Amino acid sequence: MIGGLTLSSLSSLPELRMAPSFGSQTAGPAPSANGFAAVLMDFAATAAGAVRQGEAAAIAGVQGSLPLQTVVESVMAAERTLQAGIAVRDKFVSAYLEITRMQI
Amino acid sequence: MDPLLSVMRTAASGLQSQSMRMRIVSENLANIESAGAVPGADAYRRKLVSFESALDAVTGAELVSVNRVIRDQQPFRNEFRPGHPAADASGYVKMPNVNMIIEMADMREANRSYEANLQVIKQAREMISMTIDLLKGA
Repeated sequence: MIGGLTLSSLSSLPELRMAPSFGSQTAGPAPSANGFAAVLMDFAATAAGAVRQGEAAAIAGVQGSLPLQTVVESVMAAERTLQAGIAVRDKFVSAYLEITRMQI
Repeated sequence: MDPLLSVMRTAASGLQSQSMRMRIVSENLANIESAGAVPGADAYRRKLVSFESALDAVTGAELVSVNRVIRDQQPFRNEFRPGHPAADASGYVKMPNVNMIIEMADMREANRSYEANLQVIKQAREMISMTIDLLKGA
């Protein structure tokens, strides 16, 4: 089950916005004083919500109460959110690693 | 809202509408011999699907939905079957106004539209993956 995944690893990720937001300062949550963790809680909530929705749709599909197309759509949305989340997390992890490797 | 997400939703609504159309075709084909039970009774009337566009409140995209299922008002076929329970005094039975050739053509069209929508989903998915993959490299 997808929902069984612990999303704690995603608890520090920003909301990924695909809409172009160049030059506008309004897009995205404002960075807080707490750095990554606080800012990115938002994203974790979104990701967890999408995954949960996908799982619920999958179960409803197995029970036959939802059309197959809706199930596929929801699961794909969940997959996409998860992939985006993992990609962003990897990026942050590598950024942290970069800092740790810094010469002192 | 992310346009690629609304693409997914729109194409999924297309898939649903086309599968509904497919269902109606199958009902028509299954009932191609469904005559009435008593003399002079009407046979099964062919069903038709009409589609309409529906605005999705979440994404703002224009989805498609099945407007309503209507009955084809064309006349029934009259077949000479004296032994049939629905035969009238002169031995004729009203048979459904379903034409197999037309249903086959409709099925083909539903199939093609379904494929087109699937292709849209595949393409959008690929575009999304490519965008996410930008983060992964380097």
